[in-house]
Amino acid sequence: MTDVQPQLTVNQAALRARRKATSALMLSLTGVMTLLAVVPLLSIIGYVVYRGGKSLDLSFFTQLPKPLGMEGGGVLHALEGTIVMTTLAAIFATPPGILAAFYSAYHPNTPLGVALRFSTDVLSGVPSIVIGLFGYAVIVVPARHYSGLAGGAALAILMLPTIIRTAEEMLKMVPHSLREASLALGAPEWKTALSVVFPAALNGIITGFLLAVARAAGETAPLLFTALGNERYDVGMIIRNGVAQNQSVLQIIGRIVDQPVDSLPLTLWKYAQQPYPERIEQSWAIALVLMILVLALNIFARLWVESRKRRLQG
Amino acid sequence: MLNQVKAIFSSRRSTWPKRLYGHGDPIWTLLLIFGSLLVPLLILAVGWMLWNQSAAARAEFGWNFLLPTLDANWDPIASNFQAWPFVYGTLLTSVVAIALAVPMSVGVAIFLAELCPSWLRLPLNWMIELLAAIPSVVYGLWGIFVFLPNIVAPVGSLMSKTLGQIPGLAPLFAGPMPHSGVSRLGAAFILAIMIMPTITAVTRDVLLSIPNSQREASLALGSTQWEAIWKVLLPYGLSGILGAILLGLGRALGETMAVTMVIGNSITGKPSLLSPGYTMASVIANEFAEAVSELHSQVLIEIGLVLFFLTLALNVAARLLVWSVARRTLQEVRS
Amino acid sequence: MRKILFVLVAVAMLLSACGGAQPTATPTAAPTAAPTTAPAAVPTVAPTATPLPPGSIQINGAGATFPLPVYTEWAYAYQYVDPSVVINYQGIGSGGGKKAIIDGTVDFAGSDSVLKDEEYQAGKDLQMYPILAGAVVVIYNINWAQPFPADAKIPTLVLDRQTLVDIYSAKITKWNDPAILALNPDLGGYLPDASITVVHRSDGSGTTEIFTKALSAFSPEWKTNVGAGASVQWPVDKAGNGVGSKGNQGVAAAVQNTPNSLGYVELSYAVSNKLAYAAMRNKAGKVVQADAASVQSAMADFAGAFDAKLTANIVDAPGEGSWPIVGYTYLILHTTSMEDCLKARKLLEYIRWSLTDQGAGKRAAELGYAVLPPAVRDNVLAKLGEVTCKGQPVLK
Repeated sequence: MTDVQPQLTVNQAALRARRKATSALMLSLTGVMTLLAVVPLLSIIGYVVYRGGKSLDLSFFTQLPKPLGMEGGGVLHALEGTIVMTTLAAIFATPPGILAAFYSAYHPNTPLGVALRFSTDVLSGVPSIVIGLFGYAVIVVPARHYSGLAGGAALAILMLPTIIRTAEEMLKMVPHSLREASLALGAPEWKTALSVVFPAALNGIITGFLLAVARAAGETAPLLFTALGNERYDVGMIIRNGVAQNQSVLQIIGRIVDQPVDSLPLTLWKYAQQPYPERIEQSWAIALVLMILVLALNIFARLWVESRKRRLQG
Repeated sequence: MLNQVKAIFSSRRSTWPKRLYGHGDPIWTLLLIFGSLLVPLLILAVGWMLWNQSAAARAEFGWNFLLPTLDANWDPIASNFQAWPFVYGTLLTSVVAIALAVPMSVGVAIFLAELCPSWLRLPLNWMIELLAAIPSVVYGLWGIFVFLPNIVAPVGSLMSKTLGQIPGLAPLFAGPMPHSGVSRLGAAFILAIMIMPTITAVTRDVLLSIPNSQREASLALGSTQWEAIWKVLLPYGLSGILGAILLGLGRALGETMAVTMVIGNSITGKPSLLSPGYTMASVIANEFAEAVSELHSQVLIEIGLVLFFLTLALNVAARLLVWSVARRTLQEVRS
Repeated sequence: MRKILFVLVAVAMLLSACGGAQPTATPTAAPTAAPTTAPAAVPTVAPTATPLPPGSIQINGAGATFPLPVYTEWAYAYQYVDPSVVINYQGIGSGGGKKAIIDGTVDFAGSDSVLKDEEYQAGKDLQMYPILAGAVVVIYNINWAQPFPADAKIPTLVLDRQTLVDIYSAKITKWNDPAILALNPDLGGYLPDASITVVHRSDGSGTTEIFTKALSAFSPEWKTNVGAGASVQWPVDKAGNGVGSKGNQGVAAAVQNTPNSLGYVELSYAVSNKLAYAAMRNKAGKVVQADAASVQSAMADFAGAFDAKLTANIVDAPGEGSWPIVGYTYLILHTTSMEDCLKARKLLEYIRWSLTDQGAGKRAAELGYAVLPPAVRDNVLAKLGEVTCKGQPVLK
């Protein structure tokens, strides 16, 4: 056997060197891009913490806004509004979302299953402002007033896709043997689903729920034409009045949800476009509260899902 | 007679719980079907509402409404409306955002999928996804006070001095750049940052789903790592990556709050990227609650309809692409 | 589900427990006094003597941002006058306010823009009540071409009627345009060779209506090409140097954040934010400053101008001391179809208080608004007395 190792010409050697250099350059470029991509995140977090932290104090959470141009005051109204509307949205979106997830997990290839998965994807892509228009036409106009209820319903539509997708993923992860064992013991499908499969997937479903809540809590556009805003919204006062007037719990809840309501992102949007320095400082503080809320929910949910995945898989 | 009926009813009632327990599955299935019908029905209802409530506007203006023109009318006093400035603003900002975000996202995705040491992968993945979780209004706030004056305004005036002087590109980069940075360019930058996480995440997943045999074959033939990525992996995952880009585009088209805060809300005839503009989503946000006439709110709903169809078509295309690549990969893994 | 509701209620109670913003008046609530029977028992003249618990009546209004600063202060102050009433006024623009009152989504609307005939028809029983008058001023933010001497007071920019029209028509696009230089000899050499960023409203706005009415009065050309309305097609937008912002606040903020820009806002926004605003050469050819006196002068010029609908157009006043861009701001109510008579009475009491209370008027004047002349005010109060609920007059 003769030596067939090809002798590299000068040209070929140069070509090889160039190829290697290109490779090294491009690969390091991707690293630089990654660094660059993280810069906006750090800048946003840095500014929000720095400027928001300055004007954050207890009264920020416990007081209603003062009139324009007056110092002090807080965003209690928006905090309460956000809690009220995300709670409403969760109540509206969770039951149908989980039912749909069950269907999608067990009948993925039926026509309805395909339609469901497809329309879930489409719904997650519909601009939130269009959902706002929908909420206005369907709830605000017939009811003849803006309300937290309408805002909550609009947010619920936005939450649905996230809830369905994560719940479906988690339901699929529950080992089939569990379900089969329950069915073999004679339990009907619904009982198997509710008392065997659902509890096994519950942790993951809660995770998806939290992600959906985080998204809803940060949304503004669907609330513009549904919740409108209300600087004098005060749940505590409504409850005290209700108790004083001997109203039933349902009546009180009705008064809480059936009037214009503010939310943190909505207030941030209004405050950020004002010339008053104290309002701008407050809008940074709202941004900080929102970021803490949303990021905490996200980190919490992701940590949870990682640990669950590991346990279910391993 | 009456007693018999009563007896039947009471007996029915007494066996109800047992029957529900024993044969409850039909009801359960019905519940499931109800839950799953809700989402498709919602999509249909949204489409129907937008179509129905913009009927008068569509009848009044027809296709003329969407006609490209530099001298569009948006005159609530004379009730004369043309949507081109908004369509143009939306398309321009989204396309520029995509042009900025795609190389960046693909680069980051390559780094995450192919190069990243494993200890760094999780935190980086998280950071990219947190970027997607920041509320849109916070981007807007940061945009107004930090990003626009410090980055966009200087970059924009540099562009008008350089690119704006090249004859063919001049209309697109004509100055002057507003000193506050409020412009279509600013909106495009912010959109690029906002859609980057979406494109990155999907591209990363596409790259990770490519079987290792592809990489090994390419490297065994003597290609460098970059050549393996550029000439084998990216073409292999191309349809998936295209799907990711379409998803990102869909998000950019519909983004409202951050864009409204930084684009300047000006119905301008100038095509320049550096002048203030308007988008479809932001004109709805600004004018719908304050529409001055019935026709005015109808045309805004019609803009919503256009937006809805645009994002619908994009999502359909994106899903089809992602599904096709997923199916292909699955088949090849099996074979 | 019930658990979630309980949690919600509990959270709300916690939040309210640490709330410190409520008026100090303690609820002297007798549970037996059901709200439906209350109207008969309450004397109409003394709202403070109401047995209703604080905040039990929520009155929602929305509309113009022109009077928003004073409306929020009044609403804030009124909780000490009548703790049972909570007034929620959202500044969403006059156009939005008119739409909301016609659709019945609010109890009252604020508007500086006059209802059109078809809007009167759509709303059936609407009536506009003038509450205040205010001036629209032109605010500006200029990066001077050279620094002023350290101890010198920077002269105020002066504009005349035609120059203002030309700036908004994009015929004048540079700060050192000869027309501006001619009006401001003191500023020669300081006005920069920079393009003017012209800020206008992006939402339907009564401020815009007053402003464009004035521009139409200043220039027949503007009247035919653009016209006057709550929302118009801006020539500066087409020229590419226009920027839209939401609300009076948004315009003020945009001018503040944009060097070499100019915009129009209600006077109080300029005053409370210490923004520079231009003086104007008025119809009589005199240079005037926007303040309570020049607004009063404009109102006096048009004292007899109210029509049967209680609306008046008072721009481009001929008097020597009159500010040329002035408008009334109105509240809009349904006069016969309000359903909740208690709420209707509380609303009218609030409006009467804001028109007649000396403190309320004083505060409005401090913010740069002008209160109604007594004759006009009496006219408005008489009209308010005609409002009925379920066939009965609301104010007795």
